[in-house]
Amino acid sequence: MNLFRSEEHIDRWLDGRAPGATIPVTTLVDLATRWSDDRLSPAWRPHTRDENQAILDEVGLTGEFWRLP
Amino acid sequence: MVDEADRELRNLTYTAFVELGRAPTADEVAGAAALDRTDVADGWRRLHDQHALVLDPTGSRIWMANPFSAVPTPHRVHADGRWWFGNCAWDAFGIGAALHSDGRVETVCPDCDDPIAVEVRGGLPDDEALLFHCLVAARQWFDDIGYT
Repeated sequence: MNLFRSEEHIDRWLDGRAPGATIPVTTLVDLATRWSDDRLSPAWRPHTRDENQAILDEVGLTGEFWRLP
Repeated sequence: MVDEADRELRNLTYTAFVELGRAPTADEVAGAAALDRTDVADGWRRLHDQHALVLDPTGSRIWMANPFSAVPTPHRVHADGRWWFGNCAWDAFGIGAALHSDGRVETVCPDCDDPIAVEVRGGLPDDEALLFHCLVAARQWFDDIGYT
């Protein structure tokens, strides 16, 4: 799970491996914020699978690749 | 299922991580929680099994208290007046979120090793052209969390 400057860098880094998914850094920041903003709260409790899936859905990460088990 | 005692142990562990600026040892958490070291180690193992934190391969030390990494990684973050390590680029941005702080993420492009730095202010990155690549599909994230 890495940051890259462009698709060209990703393609070169993959070096023939099957690609995963590429998203803009703006989406990543939105995702990371929703995923982690309660981590230090005294009221923290584990996210359920459905809560985590809802976060992915809310930031537009839908489809089989982003489907949690 | 994380029971209330383990939830409290997890929260104490995270609080100690942020106060110390590094992963606490089981002895340090035991002292803060008035527990035996063995109780902390057993609780950490249960929390590991529930994906509430990640132990290192020895099973005795914190490896990841997501989004924080206990070990140096290529994903450095400056937030809330201190430098941290994220487990990946995703977690690097999660650190500012967890601390409710703006921050600066510094990493390197894994293709060319060029440095990449991003400031996040008010939830917005200052370089919107960057891309994030996730190699592993969500259904496999916890098959090997270190690789993911």
